[in-house]
Amino acid sequence: MSNSTASRGGGTQTVPPTREGSPTASGPAGRAPRPEWRQRLTRLDVRLSPYLYISPFFLLFLVVGMFPLAYTAWVSVHEWSLIGGKGEFVGLDNFREVLGNPYFTKQLVNTISIFLLSSVPQIVIAVVLAALLDNQLRGRTFWRMSILLPFVVSPVAIAIIFGSLYGDRYGLINELLGHVGIDPIGWHTERFASHVAVATMVNWRWTGYNALILLAAMQAVPRELYESAAIDGAGRVRQFASITLPMIRPTMIFVVITSTIGGLQIFAEPRLFDETNARNGGSDRQFGTITMLIYDFGWQLRDLGRASATAWLLFVVICVFGIANFLLIRRVGALGGER
Amino acid sequence: MTRRPGFLVYGLLTAFLIGSAAPLYWSFLLGSHTKEIAAQGVPPLLPGGHFWSNAERAIATIPFWKALGNSLLVSTVTACSVVFFCTLAGYAFAKLRFRGRGPLLVFVIATMAVPTQLGVVPLFILMSEFGWTGTLTSVIIPWLVTAFGVFFMRQYLVDAVPDELVEAARMDGCSQIRIFWHVAAPAARPAAAILWLFTFMQVWTDFFWPLIALPNSNPTIQVALNQLQSGFFKDYSLVLAGTTLATIPLLVLFVLAGRQLVSGIMQGAVKG
Amino acid sequence: MQTPKTRRFRLASSALLALTLATTAAACGGGDDDSSGSSADGVTTITVATFNEFGYEGLIDEWNESHDDIKVEQVKVGTWDDAKANLYTKLAAGSGLSDIEAIEGDAMPAILAEEGAFEDLTDEELDGRWLPWVEEKTLNADGQMIGYATDIGPEGICYRADLFKKAGLPTDREEVAGLMETWDDYFALGEEFVKKVPDTAWYDSSGGLAQAMLNQVENPFESDDNTVEVENAELEAVWADVTGNIDKGLSTTLPQWSDDWTASFQNDGFATMACPGWMLGVVEGNAEGVEGWDIANVFPGGGGNWGGSFLTVPSQGDNIEEAKEVAAWLTAPEQQVKAFAAKGTFPSQVEALESDEVTSATNAFFNDAPTGEILAERAQAVTVQPYKGPKYSDILQAFQAAVLRVDDGSQDAAESWDQFLTDVEALG
Repeated sequence: MSNSTASRGGGTQTVPPTREGSPTASGPAGRAPRPEWRQRLTRLDVRLSPYLYISPFFLLFLVVGMFPLAYTAWVSVHEWSLIGGKGEFVGLDNFREVLGNPYFTKQLVNTISIFLLSSVPQIVIAVVLAALLDNQLRGRTFWRMSILLPFVVSPVAIAIIFGSLYGDRYGLINELLGHVGIDPIGWHTERFASHVAVATMVNWRWTGYNALILLAAMQAVPRELYESAAIDGAGRVRQFASITLPMIRPTMIFVVITSTIGGLQIFAEPRLFDETNARNGGSDRQFGTITMLIYDFGWQLRDLGRASATAWLLFVVICVFGIANFLLIRRVGALGGER
Repeated sequence: MTRRPGFLVYGLLTAFLIGSAAPLYWSFLLGSHTKEIAAQGVPPLLPGGHFWSNAERAIATIPFWKALGNSLLVSTVTACSVVFFCTLAGYAFAKLRFRGRGPLLVFVIATMAVPTQLGVVPLFILMSEFGWTGTLTSVIIPWLVTAFGVFFMRQYLVDAVPDELVEAARMDGCSQIRIFWHVAAPAARPAAAILWLFTFMQVWTDFFWPLIALPNSNPTIQVALNQLQSGFFKDYSLVLAGTTLATIPLLVLFVLAGRQLVSGIMQGAVKG
Repeated sequence: MQTPKTRRFRLASSALLALTLATTAAACGGGDDDSSGSSADGVTTITVATFNEFGYEGLIDEWNESHDDIKVEQVKVGTWDDAKANLYTKLAAGSGLSDIEAIEGDAMPAILAEEGAFEDLTDEELDGRWLPWVEEKTLNADGQMIGYATDIGPEGICYRADLFKKAGLPTDREEVAGLMETWDDYFALGEEFVKKVPDTAWYDSSGGLAQAMLNQVENPFESDDNTVEVENAELEAVWADVTGNIDKGLSTTLPQWSDDWTASFQNDGFATMACPGWMLGVVEGNAEGVEGWDIANVFPGGGGNWGGSFLTVPSQGDNIEEAKEVAAWLTAPEQQVKAFAAKGTFPSQVEALESDEVTSATNAFFNDAPTGEILAERAQAVTVQPYKGPKYSDILQAFQAAVLRVDDGSQDAAESWDQFLTDVEALG
């Protein structure tokens, strides 16, 4: 991963022109001289505070995050039974085996398909929804809270509700389709249909959440910008494109990157949706995802070695997508920013 | 945007509201009928009169109140901790200059990309080393600061706190922590409120780790609700009455927190 | 800054905090977070982890009332799926399991293959407690008894008498039994049935039927030395029957345990199903309000056993002796008879099978059928015990997925069989 550019692209360096250039010099130059020790203390404060502030994350990572990572890395190059434990060192054999497994390719394609079917509409709708909520609405609180309703529903209930919604034979949707003369759709058996069904579950659950995040960013946009744009005769759509979107870019980047990561790790929804005994994502893994393959290797077949190798491969895939996304949004953002 | 929104806006929002609320209403519906009716799949549109009797059965079957209390405690503690530490770290990444800032931030983001399913085994080993398994500590500790939260606050604060404000405060001789407290923290409130709510919900709905980490006599609410599915067959009315009942405290919380959330967001608008 | 709002914020947050504290204080009253052991006053707590339905609630109360030194606490998980994830994770981590862990029957062979993870429960006093073929399933390669059997699933045929009538078939359970001695008879009757009642399938699911049939095959997937041999004539015959029936409309083609399958109980989806003892409770629950169910004292092709569970004692526990004692008590004939009375889990103990409570049991939902007598006879009829090696459960899942692929039309039988072979090979 290329390093520091990532953090800067977020906005500090490329802030919109409302901001004055950040002062380059740091330190109390030009002020009345202070006692030596105080100055030193201040310098120490300036130098150490950032590390102090970010240290909780890294400390916790050291305590609970590091070991699992090292453990899976170690496991992935061994033959390793879930119950029996460590076997012999096999180098990259597990990786080779996983890459050669036809289900890996299939489930990778499924993952990406479900990811695209969920993330893209989700973000588009979330932006629109946030824009709608960024209005002088009557009953603001009500509307804003209402979009989070899907979030309070327990996963157990979600499985039951979407199960009866998307039942292949006795489901509500197929029944309704039947009334208008459309043949029942095999929501659990046809590959694309199952992706759509799973994506609906994901979208239903997460759109409101993304909208609220974007809304917070939109609310932080200074209102004067809109006023002066309105004086210049810019319409609302134009205002939205030329002021709102560029101003919320850091949050946009956040939403895109986190939904990429979350989307590619998708597990709960397809698993809840699955009704076969093996729970691998349909009889022919029509909607099996990579994380489900990890689970299959680890908990069904009790082969922690292959499971860990799959996990690391998924990590690589996510990084590739994450970087691609980031570069893409930076370009789009730069174009949008030219006013 | 000072113009009052029109009919179209309310129409779209209403459509969205119906979509969001329908499954919740549906689970209430199924939970309010007898199990014969619930088993038939699509219920009648109006609630039946059995919600409380179903809910009572659910409460009698599982350690409902205890699980609810556990979940409230775990979610609240986690959410508060996440908000505090992530705001601090997010602020440092957004507004303070220090060596290694870029790579460290990338590292934080990269940790999110690691699939978590497998972490369960080593995490459990770790927790039992520390002697935390079986206690609520084991479900709180791992999520005290999240990469998600750090990244979120960083992205929000990058634009929400003007650099010149931070600089001016420092010129005045403010210590770093004072700058954080008086400049960054107030500006961070809208995002903090959202992060609080999300973390709370995230922890509330988490199932797999609490299932593994906690003894069943002392579960979180999702694990307890899952026990409702034991038995020879899925008693939908029982399960859904239980899950619906368990969402009521959340709805109350939403109403309480909701006003804060919105006023928080509005304050963000004053800044700039 | 903005004081009124800040104050309101504080007020709300302190109200929240107070609410939380109040509920948790109430919740923590019990204060029993010691999952693993003895407390200061010399009382040992033994945890028993179960899934689905074991009928143990009353038994545990009974134990706790009569014992002061050992207290038993039940740990319930909804399904075997979740229980399995929990079990494997903690076996892998080396700690955290309950003192007694229940194991689902088909997973038992894999458990037996894990050396050193579970205690040897062999006890001379318990010789002859279980049916011989049940006992065999609890012995590992060294002849140690790793689990105490709880229940068994001797199979009969459950059927809808009302739908039989509609099709002009006999409805009396003895007459029905006479018509299903062999699988060929059973399928032929099915074809007759679906001609008369085309909207209703003959049996509930292809996967369920396959599993029932596999329970009559001596070496379904593995030979006695644990070599995987799925290309054998008997398995291929089961495959041909199960997949061949799909086009004839005999199967609902639904995955067993799916929401559609559950709904089909209420929608006259099918007329018969393979019914191990514990399935009676499943049918009764899912078909609540449906009248006409009955059970015939027959199983095509001879007897068969489906399922049944075991109690094991993981070696990682701290209270192994006490755990053994509790496990032996719970699986004693007297106790399993009570579990049968409470929840209908059919006992695996010789004495229990002979007891009056079991043999005289009837079931109102199944038209007052003498279910105790029928199931006891069905248990006697079990002659073949399939050999199940450590990969049995994994291969079974692949097999059922293969059947389902033909069911749902995503592949034809030949394609699906080929993929099954590849899947089995990939198990390693």
